[in-house]
Amino acid sequence: MTLFFGYVGRTTLNSLFSFALVCQLMLDTLNWLFLQPLLGKGLRWRSAIEQFVEFGARSMPIVGLITFLVGAIIALQSAYTLEQWGATRFIADLVGISALRELAPLMAAILVTGRNGSAIAAEIGTMKVAEEIDALEVMGLNPVKFLVVPKFLAMVLALPCITVLAMFIMIAGGFFVSVFVIDVDAAVYIEQTMGALKGKDLLTGMVKSFFFALVICWVGIYRGFQVEGGAEGVGRQTTSSVVTSIFLIIIADLVWTILFYFL
Amino acid sequence: MNAEASADNIIEVRDLVVQYGDHTVINEISFNVRRGEIFVILGGSGCGKSTLLRNLVGLMKPSKGTIAINGEDFTAMKDSERSLVRKHMGMCFQGSALFNSMTVGDNVALPLREHTQLEESTIEIMTRIKLELVGLGEFADYLPSELSGGMKKRAGLARAMAMDPEIIFYDEPSAGLDPIVAAGLDELIRQMQNTFNVTSIVVTHELESVKMIADRVCMLEKGHIIGIGSLEEIRNIDHPYVKRFFARKSQPESASDNTYFQTMTGETKTT
Repeated sequence: MTLFFGYVGRTTLNSLFSFALVCQLMLDTLNWLFLQPLLGKGLRWRSAIEQFVEFGARSMPIVGLITFLVGAIIALQSAYTLEQWGATRFIADLVGISALRELAPLMAAILVTGRNGSAIAAEIGTMKVAEEIDALEVMGLNPVKFLVVPKFLAMVLALPCITVLAMFIMIAGGFFVSVFVIDVDAAVYIEQTMGALKGKDLLTGMVKSFFFALVICWVGIYRGFQVEGGAEGVGRQTTSSVVTSIFLIIIADLVWTILFYFL
Repeated sequence: MNAEASADNIIEVRDLVVQYGDHTVINEISFNVRRGEIFVILGGSGCGKSTLLRNLVGLMKPSKGTIAINGEDFTAMKDSERSLVRKHMGMCFQGSALFNSMTVGDNVALPLREHTQLEESTIEIMTRIKLELVGLGEFADYLPSELSGGMKKRAGLARAMAMDPEIIFYDEPSAGLDPIVAAGLDELIRQMQNTFNVTSIVVTHELESVKMIADRVCMLEKGHIIGIGSLEEIRNIDHPYVKRFFARKSQPESASDNTYFQTMTGETKTT
């Protein structure tokens, strides 16, 4: 029994401690992102743009391919039910709404987690192990300004951009299957899609993808700085960054879905 | 020990205590480093010398005590003030700690680009001078991964020299290098001190290297200073640890049956 309470107590303390660390890191980042540049300390734009290209442009092929396929899959799956009622034209509504509100932001976020979230954790972790973070500090260069802020900025801008493109591609995937496999009239499909989608759907997707970006980048950065002792530590934290990040993305998704449902 | 304050001291450490949790790594040590000397912190593995170095450069905060650099208390400073002091400090890391994503030249140029308003062409010239200084003039466009261990350490030294610092800290400069390359690095440390009158603080356990470079040696054991002085003075201290260290003898097996029993059972006797 004491063992149980001891476990609960320790776990609670540990999570509170890591929460405090994350908050500290966030405040530091916001400080170096907004406050310090105003005081003339500058921002590392070049690095941010490089990261933006890495997170955004280089992720696009795989995100595009996957979301196209997912669009096709939803179209086929909904046709399976809708055909029985002769209502195949509503495939367009289903694909369009689920792409914008749910699947495009989610798929993009999960792929970017696997591709870039893990890379962020691994890069910062390796730098920590190789004393490169210490080297920055001894040179009087703030690691948050130098490493974290460019990644943060790039991620928060890149993921929503990818997501918008992913939305269109997913709808295109649905369109492709509906028109060429299920024989829905192309004009009808487009008309149905236009009729079904509202600005609010796009907004829902964008808000979600913004929060997903926060999650991916925070978890990656935090896990990277947590790395202790050698290559093994880098591997462990990288793996756990992906797991934590996907878990938190799903939670954030649920919260925003509930909020937007009632709004 | 000669720990009196003087204008000639560039670093003054007073009653420094460092603890990890309940474990005391450095226990109330005080010493001075004089301007322009090569001050070697000597000791075996786990004696706290790396921890001491991390405290001196401000990567760790001591539990108690003060570290004054040029008369200003380094431990009590705000981050912005500390980063000003750091522009006058350079550090050579054990594993060189070059940024692997940048070329050697960019590594050396980084502090200049970040801390000064110099023209890019001036920075390029200064980078080349620093690299030439350590014999790597040809290698500005190489990535750190394309260099050998000794060359990486030299490049690390060039980066530490970039801002023309007053103090350079070396963490185990000859660790992992063959005797010839290590000797070359020792010569370089001497040369930096002779040419630019930088103060050097070197943490090491290599006696050969200490012989070549040390002006004064500070011998550490288990977080205590055994003695400070020239290498000869240290060698003549009548202390079992010093004798073993210089004679390269292993630690004798557990001193008494009692302590052996304690370590095996994990029981600690209250003393």
